[in-house]
Amino acid sequence: MRRVAYYKGCLAGLSARELDSSTRALAPKLGLELVELENVTCCGAGDIQTADPDYALHLNARILSEAEQAGLDTILTICNVCTLNLRQAALQLGDAELRARVNENLSRAGARTYSGGVEVTHLLWLIARGEGLSRLKEIAVKKLDGLRVAPFYGCQLLRPSKLMGFEDPDRPTSLETVIEACGGEPVDYPAKTLCCGFPILLAREKTSLAELARPLEQALAAGAEAMVTSCPLCHLSLDAWQRNAERALGRKLGLPVFHLSQLIALAAGVEPAQLQLSRHVVPLGSVLAKLSSPLVEE
Amino acid sequence: MQVRLQIRRSDPATGETRLQLYQLDHVRPAATLLDCLEEIKEEQDGTLAFRRSCREGICGSCAVRIDGRTALACRTSVAELLAGGRIPLITPIGNLPLIRDLVVEMEPMWQKMRSVQPFLSPTSDSPGEGRETVVSPALLEAVHKEALCINCGACISECDALTVSPEFLGPHALSKAWRLVGDPREPATGRRLQELSREHGIWECTRCYLCNERCPKGVDPRDAIAKLGAEAFAAGVTRDRGARHARWFVTSARTTGWLRESELVVKTLGVAVSVTKIPLALRLFRRGKAPLPLPRHKAKGLEPARALQRIVAGQDRRGARGIVQGERVLARIELVRVPEPPEPEAEDF
Ligand code: SF4
Ligand code: SF4
Repeated sequence: MRRVAYYKGCLAGLSARELDSSTRALAPKLGLELVELENVTCCGAGDIQTADPDYALHLNARILSEAEQAGLDTILTICNVCTLNLRQAALQLGDAELRARVNENLSRAGARTYSGGVEVTHLLWLIARGEGLSRLKEIAVKKLDGLRVAPFYGCQLLRPSKLMGFEDPDRPTSLETVIEACGGEPVDYPAKTLCCGFPILLAREKTSLAELARPLEQALAAGAEAMVTSCPLCHLSLDAWQRNAERALGRKLGLPVFHLSQLIALAAGVEPAQLQLSRHVVPLGSVLAKLSSPLVEE
Repeated sequence: MQVRLQIRRSDPATGETRLQLYQLDHVRPAATLLDCLEEIKEEQDGTLAFRRSCREGICGSCAVRIDGRTALACRTSVAELLAGGRIPLITPIGNLPLIRDLVVEMEPMWQKMRSVQPFLSPTSDSPGEGRETVVSPALLEAVHKEALCINCGACISECDALTVSPEFLGPHALSKAWRLVGDPREPATGRRLQELSREHGIWECTRCYLCNERCPKGVDPRDAIAKLGAEAFAAGVTRDRGARHARWFVTSARTTGWLRESELVVKTLGVAVSVTKIPLALRLFRRGKAPLPLPRHKAKGLEPARALQRIVAGQDRRGARGIVQGERVLARIELVRVPEPPEPEAEDF
């Protein structure tokens, strides 16, 4: 078992609790022991980074310090946005002078300090290559029967690539690799690396929904039966706001969207009840029926 | 070295667009894409239209899309493009009207740039005749990256918000705007921040980071936009929905550690507009996806998160300085203007 610090972020504890429960159910199969970080907060989501960037840096420093104090060298995230914010802070805190200043503030506030060196990674990165991929192939026993799945990367796991750097930000392959390992068939479409519109969904709804509609429409046109995303924020747009995108487009879409952990867990034969698929707004009935196994909940 | 390129040709007179394949048989291994375009034009096809001038990444004329990604032709090694035996596809940059072949109309970009008044505002305390305002290099650190812009348009070519909302000011004009707002000589920052907070300004950026990814000069326009947002907060210009959205994350972190998601809609849109979101809320509620505001989902060890906000608020890294310190990865930069904290516009909770 590899022990990693598990930072689940805000949404997996709130509207996307199904992501948390499916990740927990999946982890042991992947050989991961998740040590959930306590005494941590929101990563700032890009919002605190804009409203009060210095505060955002300190919040992230605290998350990094909690992992360090727990004796863990890797933070595992399940969200694109958390990954970017934590990696950005970790990089900046590589500077001794900046770190000294932040640590002084952390001490004054009664938090622990950070001495550097914690690696921040996303679940997708752990399983799309090397050992993680071999392990994934071993556990994906309940193949997805050639289910045509559209990968949706969104933005912040790919860009800015100088902070992320896992793969070519314009021609990523990690989600496709995972879909294939699970026995699904990846569906290609241009908008898979574009924005879901989430950050401005409330502030600029029209612009946001126009962005959201593109991956959904294109994936359907390319023959997708479902979509999978590595980010709970993208998921909230793609699933919960899909109806609003439909209204803006004036046509029905109805594309079910999986969280990454759910898709893998399904292929790994995790008890469907643990995946809480009934919490999705766009029903997954059609997909589950196709998978010809008694997976349907309730 | 043999080079084959597919170039999208378009003729405005007929409206016809087609792909044309060109082949060059004796190209130097160190050649750039621009070298190849010039050779095609000189030796094979004088009708091919593209822009270029300096050939060394300074004039900003030769941005094109290469297999979809925008880059300067003069800074792109053609040998690298051919890796794996591919035939690169060269098309004009996006989000601007096409004139011909690889040439686009830049006027919409200039218009937006003019609209942010890309020059210092006149001020009554200008130095007198024959004197000058001395600005130390340290004071210009905050706008150093933005000053590197060569107006090539690579950032707007793929800007995701601009693609769906053509009136969005976009990364080029907004990073210019920060170049001025962040300049220690600029007196009218408050007025500028108000104007930049309008419908198609700072808060329409969707944080796709395509601008940072494409900019050949390391301007990182998204970061410039974040600096504008941060400075708007420092100046108390926070009425826009985008700013209210961002502020709610700060309030949440301070009061419960995690986002207070169920209240985000009301805090961003206000009560009246939020009523229109009731069908959505019900949809989420039925699925157990609408977390109730009470009992609050609270993080453990909350006191330090609260204390940290108080502590940093009293230090000299407020506003954009909080970004500049990280981006230079240098805590010692001497930063510009330390404004007084504004009166809060509304009670947070
Ligand atoms: S980050 Fe903002 S400004 Fe930059 S390309 Fe994306 S939407 Fe446009
Ligand atoms: S910000 Fe960068 S990409 Fe945009 S116009 Fe300036 S130099 Fe070009």
